[in-house]
Amino acid sequence: MPEDPQHALATVRSELARVRSAVGRIERSLNELEASASAAGSSRRRPERYLRVLVDVYELGGRHGVAVEAWANIGSRRGYDRRGLGGFFTGARAPLRHAGDRVVLTAYGQRLVDEYLAGLAA
Amino acid sequence: MSDGGAVLVDGAWLQARLGDPDLVVCEVDERPLIYRLGHVPGAHCLDWRIDLQDAVSRDLPDIEAVRRLWHRIGLSERSTAVFYGDQSNWYACFAFWLFRLYGVADLRILDGGRQAWLAEERPVTVDAPPENGSKTTLRPQVQAGLRATWRDVKAALDGGVQLLDVRTPAEYRGDVLTEAGYPDEGAQRAGHIPGALSVPWDVAVGRDGRLLDPERLRARLEEHGVNLAAPAITYCRIGERSAHTWFVLQELLGVSARNYDGSWTEWGSMIGMPIAIGDQPDRRKM
Repeated sequence: MPEDPQHALATVRSELARVRSAVGRIERSLNELEASASAAGSSRRRPERYLRVLVDVYELGGRHGVAVEAWANIGSRRGYDRRGLGGFFTGARAPLRHAGDRVVLTAYGQRLVDEYLAGLAA
Repeated sequence: MSDGGAVLVDGAWLQARLGDPDLVVCEVDERPLIYRLGHVPGAHCLDWRIDLQDAVSRDLPDIEAVRRLWHRIGLSERSTAVFYGDQSNWYACFAFWLFRLYGVADLRILDGGRQAWLAEERPVTVDAPPENGSKTTLRPQVQAGLRATWRDVKAALDGGVQLLDVRTPAEYRGDVLTEAGYPDEGAQRAGHIPGALSVPWDVAVGRDGRLLDPERLRARLEEHGVNLAAPAITYCRIGERSAHTWFVLQELLGVSARNYDGSWTEWGSMIGMPIAIGDQPDRRKM
């Protein structure tokens, strides 16, 4: 007997909801793991100027990040030459990424900004 | 000091008035600690987690809490209050909405917020303003027609009031519960309120965080299916991005709008609420 299409649809929708729920749980776990990793890495304290670069991107870039030219200016103001700025984009935990012609903070970069700001309150 | 002018002001306007005793400047950031790096001289820091919501229940601060806040920042009948902050003024707009809800007449938003003020290299200080010693006689009174509850939203599903989902398209479709970086703000379910239009908040701003001019705002919103002649309810995840769009509609374009501050974290977590997932069927129909 062929399967009832309505029933099949409901089954697929239910499965989709289950998958979405699982993805949500994985996302939350991943965020917690990232937070733990960054906390564990805090013994390797980032230099002040490194963190200030990230704060500058947050402050001057808002939700849309900074233009490449503004990015170079931020780096220069904090004492980095252009080659040194490449390090902000490399590695599994890069704090910055390119989004088209803009430079934006990654979720990890936002966490570093939060840690820097929390240090101000300590 | 009210000059009866526009609710949206720029850095030159604000800088020219710094020191005016009737000016109350408030910085409202997603990350309130950033205030400590420097702020507009004389600006008070409003912490959205502490000052703009109830300390215990998930609700707005009550009349007594708002009165205490107004006393702390020295808000009086003569005051002009200016709000600005990070993230293109998300939380500044939320504070603006809250103060309007409680009946304050003369409120302004600094266009582009903290981002624009710093980009223009205007003066900043790390000194906190002195505590206000005078007693305000301004009494908070809740104004009707600015806040929407889930019951209002449910009633809107039957038509007449357009629902505007101002989150990212991925949140609207139900692909994710939140944007990256907001792990604590997820609802139990992903998706959107059935019939809601997807109108991401940032259709209203340029890359510099400033709002578009009114003509372009109207065009951008209409491109997204918004009927500027019809009342609207805005919602997002916790009510701050939707306050931004509420400000654009109600304060800049004169559209009757309410902010649903319960937003998706409420709707998407309640038992029995209708939810839709996927793309908007046809945004051109409205």
